[in-house]
Amino acid sequence: MNRTRVIFIVIVVAALAIVGLAALARLLSDQPSSPLVVDQRGPINVRVLTALPVYDWVNEAAKQFNAENHELDGNPIQVEIISMDGLSALGKFDRDEFGALPSDVDLENLTPEQERALERFPTAWIPDSRYLPELANVAYKERLGRDVFLTDGEYRARPIAISLFAWGVYQSRAEVLKERFGDVDWQVIHDAAITRGGWPELGGLPEWGFFKLVVPNPRKNVGGLAAMVAAAGEYYDSVAIGTAEVTDPDFQQWLGELMSSTTDLSGGSAYTAEDFALFGYSAGDGGQLLESDLLNNMEGIQTRWGEPLDIFYPKYVTWFDFPFTTWIGPETSAAEKNAALEFQRYLLSPEVQAKAVAYGLRPANSSVSVDQPDSPFTRWADQGVVPIVSRTEAMRSPDRDVLLALLRWFDLNVAQ
Amino acid sequence: MTRNKSSAGPWVVVATVIVGFFCIFGCVFALIVLNRDNSGGPGGGNVVVPNTDPTSATLTLAYSPEKAALIGELVDGFNQQKLRTDDRETMQIQLLELAPDLMVEEALSEAPRFQALTPDSSLWLDQLDRRWAAQQQLEEGAIAPSAVGESVRYAVSPVVIAMWDDVARSLGWPDQPVGWETIQQRAAADPEFRWSHPSTSQASGLLATLAEFYAGAGKTRGLTVEDATAQSTIDYVGNIERTVKFYGEGETAILDRIKAEGRDFLDAFVVQEHLVVNYNRDASAGGSPELVAVYPAEGTAWADHPLALLESSDLTNNQRATFRAFRDYVQSPEAQKVVLEAGFRPADLSLSLDGSPVSLANGADPSQPQTTLQVPGPAVVDVVQNVWQFTKRKANIYLVVDTSGSMEGEKLDAAQSALREFLNQIKGDQEQVGLVEFSTYVNNIDPLDTLGNNRADLERSIDNLEATGDTALLDAISVAYDRLQQEGDPERINAIVAMTDGRENASSVTLLRLRETIRRGNNSGVPVLVFTIAFGDDADYDVLQTIADASGGQMRQGDLETIRQLYRLLSSYF
Repeated sequence: MNRTRVIFIVIVVAALAIVGLAALARLLSDQPSSPLVVDQRGPINVRVLTALPVYDWVNEAAKQFNAENHELDGNPIQVEIISMDGLSALGKFDRDEFGALPSDVDLENLTPEQERALERFPTAWIPDSRYLPELANVAYKERLGRDVFLTDGEYRARPIAISLFAWGVYQSRAEVLKERFGDVDWQVIHDAAITRGGWPELGGLPEWGFFKLVVPNPRKNVGGLAAMVAAAGEYYDSVAIGTAEVTDPDFQQWLGELMSSTTDLSGGSAYTAEDFALFGYSAGDGGQLLESDLLNNMEGIQTRWGEPLDIFYPKYVTWFDFPFTTWIGPETSAAEKNAALEFQRYLLSPEVQAKAVAYGLRPANSSVSVDQPDSPFTRWADQGVVPIVSRTEAMRSPDRDVLLALLRWFDLNVAQ
Repeated sequence: MTRNKSSAGPWVVVATVIVGFFCIFGCVFALIVLNRDNSGGPGGGNVVVPNTDPTSATLTLAYSPEKAALIGELVDGFNQQKLRTDDRETMQIQLLELAPDLMVEEALSEAPRFQALTPDSSLWLDQLDRRWAAQQQLEEGAIAPSAVGESVRYAVSPVVIAMWDDVARSLGWPDQPVGWETIQQRAAADPEFRWSHPSTSQASGLLATLAEFYAGAGKTRGLTVEDATAQSTIDYVGNIERTVKFYGEGETAILDRIKAEGRDFLDAFVVQEHLVVNYNRDASAGGSPELVAVYPAEGTAWADHPLALLESSDLTNNQRATFRAFRDYVQSPEAQKVVLEAGFRPADLSLSLDGSPVSLANGADPSQPQTTLQVPGPAVVDVVQNVWQFTKRKANIYLVVDTSGSMEGEKLDAAQSALREFLNQIKGDQEQVGLVEFSTYVNNIDPLDTLGNNRADLERSIDNLEATGDTALLDAISVAYDRLQQEGDPERINAIVAMTDGRENASSVTLLRLRETIRRGNNSGVPVLVFTIAFGDDADYDVLQTIADASGGQMRQGDLETIRQLYRLLSSYF
């Protein structure tokens, strides 16, 4: 073999060795694997904090969206859905747990901690109700001097589905209540709750024990706060509830009597409609819960306990509108924000809205109806579910002080 | 030929160099890859491999012991799928068995060994969150943070009073309502009636204790701190607790004893429904159920077995992905059928209980419970747990400790640590504890006294233990036994916890004689339970088993790794 050949082979071997060692070094390093040569543009990741009542529907839609390979400017979009109760998410925004950048940050020189926090920073938030982003804005206005969720413009919050609070009462118990009181409302529930002799005194069976109320735990589920505000609305016969009303001692005593008829004051349970279904009569005889949760669990309740719920709509209606709210700070890129809007548009499409109906949600897109033959609204019509709620008095969104006053009262008087 | 030879030489050398290089490179590469693939550890085992890899997709899940079989099956099913994260890491679950109260303690510590947990009840998650929030510096009225992340339920089981069929019928079941009060009245009226409930460190034990406080306060809901601390309530609960035969480390341990000893062991005990179902499936083989689940008339509570992620800064994105995949798996129709087959009620409400193991044929009634006992707020629950320590049946306990020469070194250190742990777990200062140290002879005795008086003395004696000499185990147990009989206190649980690492070789008392002394003494005097601990492989298991059997106690095995936990478990019996 001539010398040129030997040199050639040595060079080839050396090149292979260098490539091999480089690959080995990358494998051993802490960095996740990435291409060795060309830095290709990867997918645009959209992380959406999503309220529990719409999680199943939104998550299914996200899987479908990802499978359909949607793109923005030639880059694929990947959507990740993170389930989180609205109140928990608000608390995290309040405490800045997601790691928003300070207003004077140098975006070119972020610390490793800041960069790590941004990897998981939420691109969008679907809370239970529009007042929650407004409350988050209050905290950020103090901290950063600006809003982080917008109420107008391209990135404004848009409802993706709606639902309202309704009474769900086991049929056997509802019949006794109607026989005794004629209707089901907060005052009737209060009177049933404080009946010393329990169900036998109300006309029910001894083994039913005392009347047991189901409302979500306000510490774990924003629906609990909504229920307390709704109770206040009926107590005061008013749609607007302020701090003065919820701190009134007479009202607090009335509310205390009502809430003391829940079965678990420990905070161990969130008291969703799923609990109601899973634990049956032992969790409660009836309660005010989100209509979509009730509809979602109607079949399960019938399967497990052999008895359906009767549904009643309260005089003062509390709506949840699940606004899709895009974070507008520098923590997420313009591409991520626009990719989030793509997903928002997808959720509002007639096909995906029709799927929301199957989950007991009322569509935000008015071209989609709820009274299709296979809709839960049709299926459970005999139990009192109506496609159009004739009640016109909607509770107004409470302000931050009202919510905090109710939470504080709950902690001191019920959850002790 | 010459030319051929001279030209082949360098080619062979170069080829050898190339092949050799690739062989070495390939071997190193393979070793690294194999090493990475094995870092996750087994899924169904109880071995936790600490993982500091920021890309780790191995999630350690702490579970409460009564669902060991179910969670093991679910985790095996999940691990067998060999799912991968987006960056191609294999998703794996490791299991760690822990009592629920220990999960809370460890979750609040600096370096918990787990990233997810599934205790028997959501009560523990709430306790964890409250204690964690209390550690944070929060502004007045702020929304409290949570250490518990995403959580789901996959299986539920109501807490019931398990009774033998004829015992239940003698109490009026199924025609008359039978509840907590029925049991309490029967136990108070009939000294022969043997019942037990777990300690308040488990949901079922806590519920049974709450029922006593409700009955003592004359209420069925709205229990307050004032009710729970009223002297009349404390006296009532104290009287009831005196009828409890003994407490125990958990529901599974009670069922194991029931299986081993049959109906002579207990008449009634508090457990989750699925344990009754499974006992009957094993025991009655299609005949009438031997045990029946009685759903207390006043109401009961549910063990709801949440599966929750523990939020921490160390949690990797891949571990979060593994949790979510496992969460989805346990809720899948396939896993939910496993849940139902294991005797639990599945969270999937589309699965009917008709024709399932949760049936009258297995002692359970799927249409029950109809009502529930109100679980009070956290402050009241805390008071009930604390007050119970003072109202529960008190105990006289002798700790018998081997300090023979073979204990020298690591073993003695581990034993000292375990004994200190035992004392730490006995909260009430009214419990009486003594210590007998032995080697060739009985070397030192700390006489029985209330912990309020002698806790410091006992701790000093434990610190001063030194290993030397032979093993006079029987003499030491005999001394402790005689002292408990002389004390003659039937109001208390009387027990000996005796530990040895070797073979008996120095006692004056024989095994036969000690056995007879215990049998006679337990019949004519106060019953004394002897718990024996074989520490390491060299202990004489037969001798220790014989002594434990003669007294109605238990023989347990421990080693350097487990001895501390074992003493902790045994402390829950008192």
